[in-house]
Amino acid sequence: MAADAAQSRNTGWRNAIILILIWEIVGRLDLIAGGALPSLSEILLRLWVDRADYPQHVIATLYASGLGFIIGNAIGILAGIIFALSPTTLRLFRGVNIAIFALPPIAIAPILVLTLSGMAPRVVLATLGVYFVTMTATVIGLSQTDKRTSDLIQAYGGTSWTTLRLVQLRGALPTILSAFRIAAPNAVLGAILAEFGGGGRWGLGTYLLGSLGRGEPDRLWGIGLTATAIAGLSYLGFALLSNRFLGATRAVTLNAATPDDATPTKSVGHNFLLTLGTIALPLTLWWAYIKLSGVPDLISKTPWGVIDYLFLGKTAAVAQAKLLQALAETLPITFVGMALGLLFAFLLAICSRLFPQAIKAFMPVALVTQTMPLVALTPLLVLMLGRGTSLTLWVTISVTFFPAFVTLAQGISLVPRGTQELPRAYGAGPWTEMRMVTIPASLPYLFAATRLTVPRALLGVMIAEWLATGKGLGNLLNQSRGYLDFGMIWSVAAVSVLVSIILYQLVVIAERRVLRRFGMQTAE
Amino acid sequence: MTLSLNRRHFLSTAAAAAAASMVPKGAFAATPLTMQAAWINDAEFAGYFLAMDEGYYTSEGLDLTYLSGGPDVIPESTIIAGRADLALTTPDTTIKAIADQGAPFKIIGAQYQKNPIGIVSLVDSGINSPADLVRKTLAVPPVNVISVEAMLKLNGIEAGAVNIVPYAYDPTPLIKGEIDASLDFTTNVPYTISQQGAEATSFLLYDFGYTTYNDTVVVTEDVLKNKRAELVAWLRASRKGWNENFIDPAVWPPKWADTHFKGTGRTIDNEIFFNGAQQPLMETPSGIFSMSEDDIEANLSALGEVGIVGSRDMFDTTLLEEI
Repeated sequence: MAADAAQSRNTGWRNAIILILIWEIVGRLDLIAGGALPSLSEILLRLWVDRADYPQHVIATLYASGLGFIIGNAIGILAGIIFALSPTTLRLFRGVNIAIFALPPIAIAPILVLTLSGMAPRVVLATLGVYFVTMTATVIGLSQTDKRTSDLIQAYGGTSWTTLRLVQLRGALPTILSAFRIAAPNAVLGAILAEFGGGGRWGLGTYLLGSLGRGEPDRLWGIGLTATAIAGLSYLGFALLSNRFLGATRAVTLNAATPDDATPTKSVGHNFLLTLGTIALPLTLWWAYIKLSGVPDLISKTPWGVIDYLFLGKTAAVAQAKLLQALAETLPITFVGMALGLLFAFLLAICSRLFPQAIKAFMPVALVTQTMPLVALTPLLVLMLGRGTSLTLWVTISVTFFPAFVTLAQGISLVPRGTQELPRAYGAGPWTEMRMVTIPASLPYLFAATRLTVPRALLGVMIAEWLATGKGLGNLLNQSRGYLDFGMIWSVAAVSVLVSIILYQLVVIAERRVLRRFGMQTAE
Repeated sequence: MTLSLNRRHFLSTAAAAAAASMVPKGAFAATPLTMQAAWINDAEFAGYFLAMDEGYYTSEGLDLTYLSGGPDVIPESTIIAGRADLALTTPDTTIKAIADQGAPFKIIGAQYQKNPIGIVSLVDSGINSPADLVRKTLAVPPVNVISVEAMLKLNGIEAGAVNIVPYAYDPTPLIKGEIDASLDFTTNVPYTISQQGAEATSFLLYDFGYTTYNDTVVVTEDVLKNKRAELVAWLRASRKGWNENFIDPAVWPPKWADTHFKGTGRTIDNEIFFNGAQQPLMETPSGIFSMSEDDIEANLSALGEVGIVGSRDMFDTTLLEEI
C-alpha cells in the first residue's frame, strides 16, 4: 500500500511538471492569443520585479477579508445554532438565507459602495461570502449528531443546553471546520472584488485596476496568482487545522439512527403565516438597511422605491422595456451555461473516479480558474473566443463547475462499496458499474450541485456581459451607472437576486419530487 | 494617502493629526473639507497632490481629506450621501441627474476645459475621424456609451453603424487587433500602446462636436450655501497647485513615487506623459477651473443633442470670480 501511495504521488508530480512545462513553452513562444498568456517563469520574474508593490496591497486584502471572515463566521455559527434549535426560525429566515446565497456579487458591489464608505463595502462583501457556508454547515453539523450520545446525556439528566454544549457543538466541529476551508477563499475573493470597484488606495483589487491599463499580462497574472496563493493557503491552513483537531474524534461505528422528520405537520394557517414571513423578512431587512444607513432616497432605493421606479414612476415604461430586453438576453444563455457547467462538473467527477491521476493534475488548474479575477483574463478570453456566445458559455462554465464538481465527486465517493462491487462480481466493467450503480446512487448530490450552480451561472453570464459582450443585465448595470440611473442600478440588483431565488426554488421543488420517488434523502 | 483606506472617522482624526503637525502653533483651527476624486491616483489629480504636499490647503485654512475613486464609485452619490463636500464628475451625468431626478447639484468649476476622452487606435488602422469608425469595432467603457452615442449623432452617423463592445480597461485587445479602436483618456493610453511597441493615434470627442468639460467640480446646494468660503479657498489652493504643476509637467510625478503614486500599478513615466498631455486641455487664459459663457453654452448644446437638457443655472461661476 505504501509503495502504491508513493507511486501515485510520483505520477501526480510528474503530471504537474508536464503541465507546467507545456505552459512554459506555450507562454515563452507566445503561442496563445499572440502572447496574451505569459509563461510561469515570466510571471514569477515579474512578481520579483514588482515585489516592493505587493506588501501593502496584500495586507489591505488580508485585513478586509480577515475581518469579513471573522464577522461572517461569528454570525454564521450563531445563526446556525439558533436555526438548529428552532426549526420555525430556520423556516422564517429561509428567504433571507437563500437571498444571501444567491446574491450575485457583481450586482451587489456597486450597491455596497453607494451606501457604505471606506473599508465597509469590502468587509461586507467578504462577510456575505462566508456567512452562508458556515451557517449551513453549523445547522447540518448540529442536526447530524450521533443520537446515541445525546441519549446518553439525557439519560443522566442533562438538559438540551448540556446536550448542545457537550454533544452537538463538538459533533458539529468537523463540519464547521470544513466550512471554514471553503469560506476563507470566498472572503478573499469578495474583498478583492469590492477593492476593484470601491476606490480605496490599497488592496490587490486596486492594484489590479491600476495595472490593467498597461496591457502587460505577466503583471495581471502575478496579481491573480497572488490572490490564488492567499485563497489556496487559507484553504490549506484550515484543512490542516481540521485534520489536526479531529483526527481522533470521528465516530468509529456507524450511526444507524435515522434523522427526525424535520417537517412537523402544523395547521394550514400556521404554514401560511410562516411562508408570508419568509417572503417579507428579506424585504424588511432591505428596507431597514436603507433606513439605518441614512443614505438619501435619491441614491438608495427601498423595495417600494424599486416597485415605484419599475411600475409607477414617469419613466416606468422605459425602465421596464430596458429590463425585459436585458432579461431576454441574459436568461436563455444562463440556462445553457448552467447545463454545460453541470455537465462539465459531472464528467469531471466521473473521470476523477476512473482516471484519478489525470484529475489530480488538473486540480491546480481548476483552483486557479476559481481565484483568478476574470477581469485580468478578459484580453486572453476575447482574443481566443471572440465576444459572442462561446465566450459567455466558457466564462459561465468556469464560474460554475468547481463547486458542482466537488459536490458530485463527494457523492460519487460516498456510494457504498458493497453496491459497487455487486455489478463487478457479475463481470461488469467500470462504465457499466457507473451507469447502473454509482450515477443513480449519487442523484441527491446531483441536485445539491444543481442548487449550487444556479446562482453562479447567472453570475458567470453577467460577468461575461460586463467584460466582453456588452449585452443583458451585466451591461445594463454598468450603463445605468453612466446614466446615474440609481433606480435601474437597484432594480438590476433586485431582479438578479430574484431570478436566482426563483431558479433555486425550482430546483428545490424538482429535487423533493424526484428524491421522494426514489426514496432518497436530500444531500447538502 | 494610505488614509483613504480607512473609515472616515479614523481618516479625519489621522488627517487632523497630520495637519496639526504641519500648522505652526497658534494658527487657528483648520476647517475640514472632503473631496471625492473620479479615479484611482494618477496624474489626472496632480494639482491636488501638489497643493496637499505644499500645504496650499492648510494655508487657506482647510483640512482637506482626499478620497480616490474607482469603477463603482459614483462621485455624485458620495456628495449626496454627505461623505464628501465636493466631487469631480463628468458633466453629462451631473446635468442629467439634475434635470431628470432633481438632484440638488451646482457645477462650480471645470478642471478640463476640453474633455480628454477620445478615440484611440493604431496608426495603421487609419481611424482619424468619426466617419472612419463606420463598420469598425469600438470598445467603450459602459459608463461612456452615452458620450460616444452623442458624438456619433453629432457627426451624422447612425449608432448601429459602429459595433460597440465593452472596454475592460486593458488595451491588449486593441494592440492585438481584436478591436479597431477604443474610447479612453487620450492623455493616457497612447503612452501605454507605445510601450508595447505599437504606434497610436487619437482624436478627441471634443474636436468632433462633443464640446464638454470633464472633471467638473460639483457640490450640493447645501454645501454651496454653508461652505462657500471654504469652496473658494479650495478652488484658490487647487488652482495654485495646478499652476505650479504645469511650470514643468515632468517635475512633480517622480516626487510622488513613494507617496501618492506608490504601488498604483502604473509607472512614473506614464504619469509624466499624462501630465504633459493634459496641460493644453486644462490651461485657459482666465485660469484653471474657469467656465466661460461660451463654453457653458457649448456644453449645454452638445449634451442637448443626446437629450440631456441642462440650463445655465446649473453652473455657478460666482465662486471663480472670488478666487
